[in-house]
Amino acid sequence: MSAIPTTPSDAVPQAPGALHDASDARRVLADQVELLYRQAPIGIGGALLVASLIVYELYAPHSRELVIFWACIALLVAASRFMLVRAYSRDAAREPDPERWLRWFSIGALAEGVSWGFAAAVFFPSISDEQRVFLAFVLATMTAGGLPLFSAVWWVFALFAFGVIVPFEAVLFTYGTRLFSELALMIPILLTINVAVAYRLNQVFVSGFRLRQSYGRLTQDYTTLNLQLEQRLAELEEAGRQVETSGRKLALFAERSPIPIFEFDWNGVVLTANPAAENLFGYSVAEMIGKKGTDFLFPVEVHADVLAKWSGFMRAGKPVVALRYHNVRRDGVELVCEWSITPLVSPANRVQSVIVQGRDITQQLEAERMKQEFTSTLSHELRTPLTSILGSLQLINSGVFGELGNDVAELAQVAERNGQRLLDLINDLLDIERIESGKLTLFSEPLALRTLLQEAVNLNKAFAERFNVRLELSADLPDVRVNADVKRILQVMTNLISNAAKFSPAGGAVTIELHDLGGEVRVAVNDRGTGIPENFRNRIFARFAQADATDTRQKGGTGLGLAICKRLIEMMGGRIGFADRQGGGTMFFFELPKYRAD
Amino acid sequence: MPSTPLNRVLYVEDDEDVQRIVRLSLERIGKMTVRVVSDPLQAIEAIRQFGPELVMLDWMMPGMDGPTLFRKMRELPETRDCPVVFITARAQQRETAELAALGAAGVISKPFSPKDLPDQLRSIWSALP
Repeated sequence: MSAIPTTPSDAVPQAPGALHDASDARRVLADQVELLYRQAPIGIGGALLVASLIVYELYAPHSRELVIFWACIALLVAASRFMLVRAYSRDAAREPDPERWLRWFSIGALAEGVSWGFAAAVFFPSISDEQRVFLAFVLATMTAGGLPLFSAVWWVFALFAFGVIVPFEAVLFTYGTRLFSELALMIPILLTINVAVAYRLNQVFVSGFRLRQSYGRLTQDYTTLNLQLEQRLAELEEAGRQVETSGRKLALFAERSPIPIFEFDWNGVVLTANPAAENLFGYSVAEMIGKKGTDFLFPVEVHADVLAKWSGFMRAGKPVVALRYHNVRRDGVELVCEWSITPLVSPANRVQSVIVQGRDITQQLEAERMKQEFTSTLSHELRTPLTSILGSLQLINSGVFGELGNDVAELAQVAERNGQRLLDLINDLLDIERIESGKLTLFSEPLALRTLLQEAVNLNKAFAERFNVRLELSADLPDVRVNADVKRILQVMTNLISNAAKFSPAGGAVTIELHDLGGEVRVAVNDRGTGIPENFRNRIFARFAQADATDTRQKGGTGLGLAICKRLIEMMGGRIGFADRQGGGTMFFFELPKYRAD
Repeated sequence: MPSTPLNRVLYVEDDEDVQRIVRLSLERIGKMTVRVVSDPLQAIEAIRQFGPELVMLDWMMPGMDGPTLFRKMRELPETRDCPVVFITARAQQRETAELAALGAAGVISKPFSPKDLPDQLRSIWSALP
């Protein structure tokens, strides 16, 4: 087995019937060939021994050349076969090609047989009867000896035996006496029996090899299965450890969670609860288990509602979050909790149990309420005195009550302007607070931007004139509409225009453009100022951002304007940005999705 | 549109300084006859006596807030049809919409411009049915 199967399909053991067939015929043949070659040295050695005996016995002056010639043949055959065995044992790739090695072996066996048959043929006529008996006996011995050596493949033995017997038979019939002729008649019977035995032995070998292979395969399958089992077992153990760890983790989460967590059954009866639940509601876990949640967690007046909702959730089997309910503690104190309900649903879609988390938001709600109240009060309390200050100054500056001296008039204007700045700051602070707390509501409607930009220019003309700056609305404005809050768009425009005016050189112009970009509309406000300093660019839309701390005093403004603009434009689904204007100055722009009547 | 120009205005406001500015604005710039009431609880009686063409109400006042006073006015036959304009520091869109739903004729936000106040009131007045 070279590799452990990794996929389950590899691991399926073969059916018992398949095991026998699984013993590859080629591998059986390879085993047979290997046996032949393994036993060959015994045969070669034996043959050489017997050949020496023959040479010794038959050597005589009259037959000297013949004996030497035969001995040379026998030696040659032995040497060739020996070389073949060596070549075989060195061939690493012998197993995949048993046919080739069998072919060569059978040629060797035939040559061996023929060399002995040849001995009979050439020596028989010229030797004594005694020697003939000796030779016949030797040949019979050789044939018999070939049986165990060659019958791993029966026809190799047959080739060898025929090689020995056929020339011997010819000689027996041609030269022999009646006795030899009778012997010649018996030899084919012996040969047939021998071949039959060889055939039988061959079968035994083959089935032996097959058994060995099947057994080997079984062992491999068994080893593989064992390895897989070990692997699975290790995986299971690991999974078990993980489950245990995550179980411990979960338990720890629940135990250490500051948020009350309950597990309820389908009917809303407590199965378990965590320490935070004990702390918040004032009951021990033991007291809570087995009680219906509505009976002790909720004030009586909401019981019916909670029960109705609960059965609805159980039918739906879906998680629910952010359910606000008044709850009651053991000591009677009322709380507000935000509940999330997560049913544990079985694969068969049945609610097994329900994990319920309740966050106490009483204090959060109180804080929100206080913040709102504070903002509202601040707004009113600051605006009321400002109303009086600004109102008085405006009345004075209006000239209704007579002309003022130059210095007094100037001072009164300074007071009014700064009062206005204070008011702007309050408005901006309230705006940003409302935006960030999500309290700012937009009243969006389809707006024709052309008209709106004209209005923005009119509103800010007086302001720009104070800086000796002209406002120019580009001549050919496309007739496009956006879905936006008119008051807030005007607020953004006022911010962008007043910034542009403040940072423009005296006598310069601020140009306002409107571009139809296809899906969006772009409003651009261009100034001809000195541009935005490099180190200010990335925080220009941040709160209280001013390029230069001295700017606030010189130019006025709260540093909140652009931050508010950015948030307002984003709330309306657009984006705001700036770019260097070609020819100097800066272009501030915002883009909004175009309104389509459909 | 009412046939006569706006002349008689009653203003309910607890802050005396704001009272003074509104009075000066409406009397000196707007040339109107103004009656100011500090206590919202006495407002109904004052309206009965004075008979204003238009009432201006502050929103937040001690004793009774503007919207409550407004609802009270709507319940009484003598004050039911008198147009009411709120002048308030809480003039966010939500509040404006709330007041419009109550039936207010207009909302002016504080701080207001006393120079423009008479014109603002007259444009509300002329937009009345």
